[in-house]
Amino acid sequence: MAERFSAFSFVDRITELEAGTRAKGQFAVPEGLPSFPACLVAEAVGQLAAWVAMDHTGFRRRPVAGLAGETRFLGEVTPGQRLDLEVEIESCDDGAVAYGGCARVAGAKVLQLGHCVGLMLPLEDFDAPEAVQGRFQVLRETGVPGGRFRGVAPAELLVIDRRPGERIRAAMQVPAAAPFFADHFPRRPVLPGTLLLDSQIRLAVGLAAELPRPGTSPLSPARVTDVKIRSFILPGQAVELEAELSRVGDVAEAALTARSNGKQIATGRLELASREVAQ
Amino acid sequence: MAHREITKQEIQAVYPTVAQILADALGCDVDRVKLDASLIEDLDAESIDFLDLVFRLERAFKVKIPRGKIVEDARGDLPESDFEQKGYVTEVGLKRLREFLSEVPPERFRTPMKSADIPRLFTPETFCKVVVRAQRAAQGSA
Repeated sequence: MAERFSAFSFVDRITELEAGTRAKGQFAVPEGLPSFPACLVAEAVGQLAAWVAMDHTGFRRRPVAGLAGETRFLGEVTPGQRLDLEVEIESCDDGAVAYGGCARVAGAKVLQLGHCVGLMLPLEDFDAPEAVQGRFQVLRETGVPGGRFRGVAPAELLVIDRRPGERIRAAMQVPAAAPFFADHFPRRPVLPGTLLLDSQIRLAVGLAAELPRPGTSPLSPARVTDVKIRSFILPGQAVELEAELSRVGDVAEAALTARSNGKQIATGRLELASREVAQ
Repeated sequence: MAHREITKQEIQAVYPTVAQILADALGCDVDRVKLDASLIEDLDAESIDFLDLVFRLERAFKVKIPRGKIVEDARGDLPESDFEQKGYVTEVGLKRLREFLSEVPPERFRTPMKSADIPRLFTPETFCKVVVRAQRAAQGSA
């Protein structure tokens, strides 16, 4: 499968590993992509943590998206740049992995993740354990050439209802098939939580842009807190996204919610600030 | 560890905060959070919600709640192999659970019970008791 280990894989090499405790790694953002969203930078950090966690359990368990206590967006990443990834595992057992980490570009921190927890589930339900373990060896020993990631088309959002600058609801249809499902995951395709978050952030940024803010630069994502993915989102599933701006000043805050079949499936809070404040 | 009975007053003292935290974590109305509701059956809690809940309770009450604490405390000094076998709770294990989770209506204890299904028993009161025990532990060590 051409997409395997490329369509949604964001660690090219694991450069340092202290088993079960911490690791460093790299990912080259391919040139020629239109952009590289911050959520994928977070995904890269999360994937490095996943490698450490899977290795720690002898490739019996793997983490799936759960909680992300705090993600700080500290700088943009542009195609052609190399991400230097770093994770610290706070605890890891067969039930859950707790970790934090960051990504740097040329020494400058571009993203910080704190208080993240992934539920550890049987790896064999999602993937072929021996293939994953083999890949881990390659990443540890030689690494893989960069440039394999081809980008992910942003999900189309159809606005259902809006109160400009206050609240917006939109429908998102998860594609029935997409290259990233080959990696996420071969035996059980689910929408990556970071792609859901990317759509939610785009919705909230659009909403915040409607606020009257004469003379200041546009609001952009500075921090997202208390992200929780409560259930698997499957290919072809219809999801309803909502963003509600709850505070406006130098910093605007948006409550993010995703629902499907009447059930709340993901939540989070996004802080948007003008660039000067965000830095 | 001395198991001093947890009083109704102690439960009531923490319940409003616990109920609000549960409602926030589960995205439901606080009115739906009844003291004896099953978090999974009645309030649609998912596995990740329990982890989230524990973090939120730790933050709100400034206590430490180790993961797996409820089952561990229920098991007490019983060896793990006597509590659970091949993924199922043993007879003696079930007896311990019934005693420890005394707030759970008896008819909800089904036999045989998979260990993975133990969280189906948990109610808001279960977590009130977790908080009270953690508070007592914190006072004890202070």
